[in-house]
Amino acid sequence: MKLSFAHMGPISVYRRLIEALGHEVIMPQKPTQRTFDLGTKYSPEFLCFPFKCLTGTFIEALERGAEGIITVGTSQSCRAGFYAEIHRRIMKSLGYSAQFFALDFHRPREFIQTLAELKGNCSWWRFIDIIRLYYAIIAALDRLQAKVRLLRAYEQRAGDFVRVWQQILELFDTCRSRREIPELERSALELISRLPLRQAENAVRIAIVGEVYVVMEAHANLDLETKLASLGVEVVNSQYISHWLRRRLPWHKASVEIALARASQYLKIDLGGHDQENIAHIIEYREQGVDGIIHLLPFGCLPELVVQSILPRLSKDLDLPILSLSVDEQQSTANYHTRIEAFVDLVRTKKRSRARTFWPIQAHPDFTGILEPVNAARLGAIAVAAGTFPWC
Amino acid sequence: MPQELSLGVDIGSVSVKLALIDTATNEVIFSSYTRMGGQPVAALKRALADLPELPAAVIRAAGATGSGRHLAGIVIGADAVKNEITAHAMATLAYYPNVQTIFEIGGQDSKLIVIRDQIVVDFAMNTICAAGTGSFLDHQAQRLNIPIESFGDLALSAASSVRIAGRCTVFAESDMIAKQQYGFSRAEIVRGLCEALVRNYINNLGRGRELKPPFVFEGGVAANKGIISAFERELGERLIVPPFYNVMGAIGAAILAWEEVAATGAPTAYRGRDALTAEFSPTSFVCEGCANNCEVVRVTMNGRIVATWGDRCGRWSESVDSR
Repeated sequence: MKLSFAHMGPISVYRRLIEALGHEVIMPQKPTQRTFDLGTKYSPEFLCFPFKCLTGTFIEALERGAEGIITVGTSQSCRAGFYAEIHRRIMKSLGYSAQFFALDFHRPREFIQTLAELKGNCSWWRFIDIIRLYYAIIAALDRLQAKVRLLRAYEQRAGDFVRVWQQILELFDTCRSRREIPELERSALELISRLPLRQAENAVRIAIVGEVYVVMEAHANLDLETKLASLGVEVVNSQYISHWLRRRLPWHKASVEIALARASQYLKIDLGGHDQENIAHIIEYREQGVDGIIHLLPFGCLPELVVQSILPRLSKDLDLPILSLSVDEQQSTANYHTRIEAFVDLVRTKKRSRARTFWPIQAHPDFTGILEPVNAARLGAIAVAAGTFPWC
Repeated sequence: MPQELSLGVDIGSVSVKLALIDTATNEVIFSSYTRMGGQPVAALKRALADLPELPAAVIRAAGATGSGRHLAGIVIGADAVKNEITAHAMATLAYYPNVQTIFEIGGQDSKLIVIRDQIVVDFAMNTICAAGTGSFLDHQAQRLNIPIESFGDLALSAASSVRIAGRCTVFAESDMIAKQQYGFSRAEIVRGLCEALVRNYINNLGRGRELKPPFVFEGGVAANKGIISAFERELGERLIVPPFYNVMGAIGAAILAWEEVAATGAPTAYRGRDALTAEFSPTSFVCEGCANNCEVVRVTMNGRIVATWGDRCGRWSESVDSR
């Protein structure tokens, strides 16, 4: 069966995973203006921007011959839980008889059934082995990407980090077993450490939180991370596929609950998005020495709209600058960039003034000295920067 | 020793603002405000040509701000290209160090800047619609056949006002027409309009923010007495309108440029009179590289490409040295 999926996260790894199960893959195209136009045209007007992006992406995949779509549709989430079914109906009304495989992590029976359909002839042992390999690859790529996001602020030649990231993806494309991963990760770090970096004073670190799709995908957030890097900002991103998966494992339930409990003084119930998680992230990032937060929400996103209304209180309690940006299919950047630039100025000034009243940075158990493997001497000023490995 | 000056340029949506300040005292030596009628480069050159000859002074730095800051920066040869929010805050703090809140209402957008202990701690820009901006007033003044200059005085002449729905320009306009037909006078409607704009501004930008005096009001709309009095009624506080309220952004750009030059010690990139003779032509084309079909803008100076923007992937802009 020819399968396709959303353009979100390390898609080249999904491709290999699905191919390993004996399917053909129609790679989703990177969303363009055409994708947004198609998505806006065929989606209900008041659904959120990610829904529209996915509508467009799926249509483009079906046009190119896809027969099935793999997506996630959890029953305990916001209205996104219905998206797979609505997408299926929209595609049907457009004349595509695509089969939807919606993975619902909260309904074990249906979840296993969907997996059984997807795994085909492969045995369950083999299937688990494949999943473990590709999970390990995704986790390694996520660790590398977290470093790239911090270091890109010091890029000397425009485009260096985009190119090196492409090389790293190609490097991991050859990975055939979990044993190879440590070596590949070392080679990837070697590639990164060879890039010339510029010295920078008054570096600031900004974390991006918010709705998962717009936080992860550059095309959906007007390439926020590139803009921040060009302003010399170290970026911490709150969303990684490997973290998302890890949090769904039953034996991580307790630690996730402890982490989320910190958000409960601001928001008592889970609204089905990344709402409590984002609040917990913000609190944790503050302790780890992040200088500012950018909160991204798609226009019409209910959980993040609630978070947005809590942000002024969080900002005050934590004494932490927070900028909330709403994104949709409108692709004009003038006003958006002005706000980002002004926010970075604000964060810089605030950091300078705060140097007088130093906020102690707590050591974080997950922080494993992220810069150590890289040639620290060449990294100059940043080598001493406190590490914030994204919370999981 | 000659007087050391810094030049600031602010290209907004409807006008080009120029300010020449003394770097030692931040005193404004010269300022100008030119409506550009959609032609920023031509208007900027005209404004630069009108700079007075100052034999005893020398321009040591130049800065650009406003939504057209990148273009302005290329034309004049700027040492600093900064966003409007930082520029407005810099300029206001230079003259009113105790300021805690800045209202800035321009042609196409409006801003609110919150300052504590001389540091910008929060800001907001209108992102929803044009209901709180100068263009809306412009448009309504035209519709009512009132010159925009006498709009404020007319609003002040009204003894009472009518409530106009200011949430959205379309509704505001139909509401105004309805009130006209009920028989309210033009003065009352204009005053109602000013109050609607202020209410909308405070509700939209001021939401969740503590607005503390001293308030400084700047931007083109600060010329409108009707708006000032509506703000004062709403807040119960006096507003400070700086003498150079409509060029504060340009003043801020000049201050920031001087800071940059003073910090690096490098000579200014300012092109001086050469900017007038150089031929700048922005051209645009649609890139067919992918389905994004970005409209790529290229600026050439005397035939050489000096800047490219508009491409989302960086295919064109990466190949040009941005400086």
